[in-house]
Amino acid sequence: MKIALPIVFVAVTTALMVLALSGAGPARGTVGIAGGWAMYGLTPKASTPQQALTNLLVDVQRRNWDRAFRALSKTSAVDQQGFIEDWMGSNGSLRSFSALEDFDPRPLHMTDDQADMRVYIHWSTPVGPIQDVRDIQLVREGDVWRAVWPKFQPPTVPAEVIPVTYLRWDLVTGSAEDQWGSKNVDAPHVRIISMNAVNTAEGAVVMGEVVNEDTIPAFVNVNATLVDGSGNAIDDESSFDKIDHVLLPKQVTPYRIDFPDIDLSRVKNVRMDVKAALVPASADPVIGVMDQKLDTDAQGKAVLHGDLLNESGQTVNISHVIASFYDNSGKVVWVSDGYVDRALLPQSSEPFAVEIPKSLSGEVHNFHVVVNQYSLGRS
Amino acid sequence: MSTSRSYSRPIPLLAILLVALAVHGPLLLMQLPSGSFDANFHIFFASHYAHHWFEPWNEKWFAGFSQTTYPPLTHQWIALFSTIVGLNMGYMLVQLIAVLLLPVGVYRFARIWVDDRAASYAALGSVFLGSLSFLVYQAGQLATVASAALYLNALPYFYEWMSEARGRSLLKGIVVSLTAAAAHHVTLIFGVVLFAGPVIWTACLDAHDERVSASVAGVLSRAVAFGLMVVAGVAAVLLPYWLALIQHPIHQIPIPHDSRANFLLNSTIAVNYFVIPYGALILAFPFILVRGVSRRFIPLLCGFWLTFIFGLGGTTPLPRWLLGRAYEILTFERFTFWATLMAMPLVGVLAAQLLDRFQAKAAVALSLAAVGSIGGALWWLGANPYRPTGQMNVEPVIAFLNRDGHDSYRYLTLGFGSELGKVSTYTSAGSVDGDYNSARLLPEMTHYGSAQLTNAKFYGTAGMASLRAMLAHANRYGLKFVFVHDPYYEPLLTFVGWRKIETFNNGQITAWSKDDVPPAHQIPSDAIPPPWQGWLWGTLPVGVSFLAIFLELLLTEERPMPVGVGFPAPAENREQHYVA
Repeated sequence: MKIALPIVFVAVTTALMVLALSGAGPARGTVGIAGGWAMYGLTPKASTPQQALTNLLVDVQRRNWDRAFRALSKTSAVDQQGFIEDWMGSNGSLRSFSALEDFDPRPLHMTDDQADMRVYIHWSTPVGPIQDVRDIQLVREGDVWRAVWPKFQPPTVPAEVIPVTYLRWDLVTGSAEDQWGSKNVDAPHVRIISMNAVNTAEGAVVMGEVVNEDTIPAFVNVNATLVDGSGNAIDDESSFDKIDHVLLPKQVTPYRIDFPDIDLSRVKNVRMDVKAALVPASADPVIGVMDQKLDTDAQGKAVLHGDLLNESGQTVNISHVIASFYDNSGKVVWVSDGYVDRALLPQSSEPFAVEIPKSLSGEVHNFHVVVNQYSLGRS
Repeated sequence: MSTSRSYSRPIPLLAILLVALAVHGPLLLMQLPSGSFDANFHIFFASHYAHHWFEPWNEKWFAGFSQTTYPPLTHQWIALFSTIVGLNMGYMLVQLIAVLLLPVGVYRFARIWVDDRAASYAALGSVFLGSLSFLVYQAGQLATVASAALYLNALPYFYEWMSEARGRSLLKGIVVSLTAAAAHHVTLIFGVVLFAGPVIWTACLDAHDERVSASVAGVLSRAVAFGLMVVAGVAAVLLPYWLALIQHPIHQIPIPHDSRANFLLNSTIAVNYFVIPYGALILAFPFILVRGVSRRFIPLLCGFWLTFIFGLGGTTPLPRWLLGRAYEILTFERFTFWATLMAMPLVGVLAAQLLDRFQAKAAVALSLAAVGSIGGALWWLGANPYRPTGQMNVEPVIAFLNRDGHDSYRYLTLGFGSELGKVSTYTSAGSVDGDYNSARLLPEMTHYGSAQLTNAKFYGTAGMASLRAMLAHANRYGLKFVFVHDPYYEPLLTFVGWRKIETFNNGQITAWSKDDVPPAHQIPSDAIPPPWQGWLWGTLPVGVSFLAIFLELLLTEERPMPVGVGFPAPAENREQHYVA
């Protein structure tokens, strides 16, 4: 008894721990608080490409950069700073705000000494989740596999002077107590120029376009209320981030309002409400949308892709692309949006892609893209 | 008196209390727990009782919630003290009382198994527990500490009642148990089983071995009777809590918590939830295992082991198996605290043996171990990655909300951590957020696996989805102002149409507004307690605590505590008793 019981306790505790290690899988934890590493010997050996990539991504997730960099193949062309920047982003980009939340590595091609893996990466970002796909090559070095990391070339721009010639509207408020959006002048004239309601697998969607018909900038919000046959409101939602809220004079923006889990067949009427307020605004920075093209991406999804060109002299940290798609009669059939996770440096470009539902891709005859932006310190 | 004899005497309880006061008094006077995770939450609840003692519906969080979802005792005591010393010092006073009750409880609890001397060492050791400092100064779990201390004080009465059938013990045991239940629900539901189980088992062993006059059947029948009376009492004292729980069971998507992680796979989590709380107690594990196999210690050892395993969270699958869905709701640092308390009787024995054998050297080593444990926990306050935002100056935010009719709208804080509670306490405006997960009913919060919106980013996609859902319904809730203490959230606010309107503290905090938001109106809810529940809530829990004080003062013990069976025997022949 004296010896047996302690041994039983220790043995059962150890067995339970082994069971948890082998079976349960990692518990979902908080993001970005606890770094740390596994107890010595408990990190699985990188004896397969999948395990090597998993180990690497766990270290990236916990921001154990030294360990992650040490796990790369010696043939990698990247230095540690470049490797970190490749994952963490730079210049206040969306990537630099993001946390690697989850990943799913899958083999593409494998020989005895070399493997190509595709990893589906799930980023948690301030503007919502972003999925990324990355192909990574691994090589066998001795009895372990290591990732070969390509050279990371951070974007650079040459020193130059760029004159600012774009329009800007400032707002002088009547008193210190006035909040933004002046109360003592008429609201700008904005108008909904199109509206279309469709059913999707996720619920009803109301979309269209709004124009600022005034000669002053407007802050715009579109709200919609779904009304049933008896005149009762079913749900009300707003355009949220599926709109460019600040419209310069004569500017048009697409909008989309999602009603999750609501079937359009229940809806008799849609009550639209567009609210506008006068706000200060600037046409700078101007972001050009270049080389737009409807295409299919590597995963077989229908996308509109192109490049964003920052024509101004200041860095745009986060760009938000909103695209409206029209059928051959000019009706808006879909509004889609996406965020660019790399910063737009002055006079430089970055690619973008927004997805179109496959069922609609055949209907799309034309499209219109607007770009919303966030620049640190200028919100 | 020789040196060796001075080491063989029990330490007077009064001296232990003075040590506890000397160690924790200054730290509490310095208001060290005010930077902890939950201190502001407790103060916020207390503030509501201070202003609306009989009205548990609180409009300041979650667009309205019922405070009957959390046992009120500690908060009501803070509210009472606050009329004299203010809310912050009221909190510190109640925390100090809990900290002082703890060594008394540990002493009385330990006396069920060990002699006066070992029990006094156990009580002294409990003052320096890393887990205690962790809960008081880092986690701010006032109610957990208070409730555990009260239960420890109730358990010896329970033992006395079972083994000696003393009516006085029954009465005091029940009233102190009800007081503990009025302080904390999780301790009531989960802790009691873990603590009471070994006590019942030990009483049965004592009856079986004829160390007490009762029979095993008598012990068990009295245990059942005690249990039934406590259940009935708890049902009455916390009736509004049970009604609220039945009406709105916790169906939220589970919220991740690092205490449920596998400690072996993350060193930071292991340090936070294992090394710091146990401290030097880790060195005593082999002794606890070896000495715990003594026949009379086995119940205590089993209780300790089970609680220890629970405290390991996801390091073993046992808690998940035994707790089922409750596993996803509970946090497990409190189990570690209970495990350390349960280990203390055996640690007291270890200390006695070490002092007998090594005298001054042992005293020095034990002192260093004790100071190291509490010192480590205090050092970790500033070193841990979970540390709260701490001393953020939220006064400008409070001032902003309280002026110019801004309190006719609701607000949200982002990146404020536990300071949300402080803002809520001192502003008249209401928030859609709040710092108590179990009280949330708004679908924008319960449908996602995340906790407070102010900490949304730490819950990844789920947290940000919850925040987006709330911002999307800003007009519905009259949510007009967002205060940001973390630039992480600025891109989202910009893209969804909010505008920066003010900056505070040299730009550390920014205020954002949305223009088309109508003033807040009361959100209809079926969770609003009827007035009779408010009266019950305002009288029974605090009343039972006054009754406990009254009984302790009135019905003093005719003999020194505890009932005890003189076990183990004095030092000179302890060996044959310690080990069966």
